[in-house]
Amino acid sequence: MAVDGIDLSVNSGKIFGFLGPNGAGKTTTIKLLTTLIAPTSGTINILGMDAIRHPLDVRKKIGVVLQQPSYEPTLSVEKSLEKYGMMWNVERKTRNDRVEELLSAFDLQEIRKIKNDDLSIGQRRRVQVAREFMHDMELLFLDEPTVGLDPSARRGLLDFIKKKVKEGLTIFFTTHILNEAEYLCDEVAIINKGKIIAVDTPNELKNKFGREKTIKIRMPETKKDVQGLLIDVKDYEIDFNSGTNITIRSNDSEEVLLKILQILTANNISIEDLSVMPTTLEEIFLTVVKNSNASNN
Amino acid sequence: MHPIIRLVNRNLTISLNKGFLIWQIVFPLIYIFVAGFAYTALIHSVPFGNKSLDYPAFIASGMIGFNIMNSTLISGIIIWNDRRHGMFEQILVGPFTRAHYILSNIYTIGIVGLISAALITAVGYPLFFKSVEFNFYTIPLVVFASVTGSILFGSIASIISTRLQSSEGFNVVINTAFLFFAFVSTAFYPAQGTPEPLSTAFYLNPLTYLVDVVRAGIFGNFSTFVGIEMIVLVVVALILFTISTKLLSKLEI
Repeated sequence: MAVDGIDLSVNSGKIFGFLGPNGAGKTTTIKLLTTLIAPTSGTINILGMDAIRHPLDVRKKIGVVLQQPSYEPTLSVEKSLEKYGMMWNVERKTRNDRVEELLSAFDLQEIRKIKNDDLSIGQRRRVQVAREFMHDMELLFLDEPTVGLDPSARRGLLDFIKKKVKEGLTIFFTTHILNEAEYLCDEVAIINKGKIIAVDTPNELKNKFGREKTIKIRMPETKKDVQGLLIDVKDYEIDFNSGTNITIRSNDSEEVLLKILQILTANNISIEDLSVMPTTLEEIFLTVVKNSNASNN
Repeated sequence: MHPIIRLVNRNLTISLNKGFLIWQIVFPLIYIFVAGFAYTALIHSVPFGNKSLDYPAFIASGMIGFNIMNSTLISGIIIWNDRRHGMFEQILVGPFTRAHYILSNIYTIGIVGLISAALITAVGYPLFFKSVEFNFYTIPLVVFASVTGSILFGSIASIISTRLQSSEGFNVVINTAFLFFAFVSTAFYPAQGTPEPLSTAFYLNPLTYLVDVVRAGIFGNFSTFVGIEMIVLVVVALILFTISTKLLSKLEI
């Protein structure tokens, strides 16, 4: 996927999420930023260096976990880590310490002697991500690093990333799993069809695009015609399957809720439960991409 | 440590496993000791310049060239595996350039070629020690042949690995090519006395030149013709190396 007119700046010591549907241009952008491919025009400045003119200088200061698997089939897990550290010119003592640290942090102790070729996809991915922390870096690119990981390994990785960011690392992170981005990212950009369509903090994006809220009200069974009583209220759904459930989805959800509560109180209908569902980044993502596709069409 | 040395270290670690070393030693040993002695009943001696070599000595010296060629297969295998298992891209987003990657492969095959030649020389020495003639040219000629041959055949393996997508295709092409190189050469039998088309084909094969130079080194039989063969080896190695470097540097990511 070609990318066009991307203009991004990532703050140091933060996690920047880069989100987009399949084929939106995320991996192409990562390949450009990591100097694997050169842009046809424009400038790329990484850590204060011109990435087009000095790609090697940039690469010496970054780490990259690419989306595709990468491994040495004949090496064991611990040997993979050790050799990767050697390739990055990490001195032997530091290398050995880091191997032990990463084997523990990524729960690889039990498989440390097993060859990469004999690992499951998820185990290989863990080794691939762990390996990147063998060397020092200022900026780490993670292209869908949690693909193939089980929930506990995924949470372990995200927490490890958070820890590293607290120590000063900057992360450029792409994922399809929006709650990961919500859990992790200080700022996110959404890309669609090669163009950036939104950039902000997750909370600001919710404020901008997430005015619609979902409110659920549950009532005991009643002989009163609740639907008839609410006939003049807009933007709600009613479901009588187990008791009476009202779901409000509206940009003016507070107004709608107030009206419904007034009507229910006036008719002596009690409320068993009331909950407000916060807007998720996933909903924002879907809205933003849908709007973008609609405006393109 | 220089990036190329680090990559060579990595290449040697992933390539020199037990299986490869056993294959590198056992396979030639079978040729030298089984075929070498079995064919003695048919081939009593092989004329070589102003000498007459017994067949085991002839084949043992031929196996040095054969082994150099075989060992350079790892160049193709390294590139092929790196592409297949994502390490090619991973290396190129690390502190390395394509030039580092290419040169590290050349150094790796040079080292493996020398080790391989040394191993077979050590193993074959009892067979050809009677005919060995150490002189000013001996060791340099064998080292020259090892390094030039490694670059030449390593480049061929690299070219094949950059052009083919499927593992089946890679294996079929590389095995067919190397089978031709092995048996249409003077590694196993002399060119003299073979039918004219075959002896001509021998000299279209760089392994023949490599083996001739190795033998000239071991048996102290340097001649003008061997000198021409050395020039041919260098020229062909340079051409193939240039092609493989261009293909590698244009390899799409």
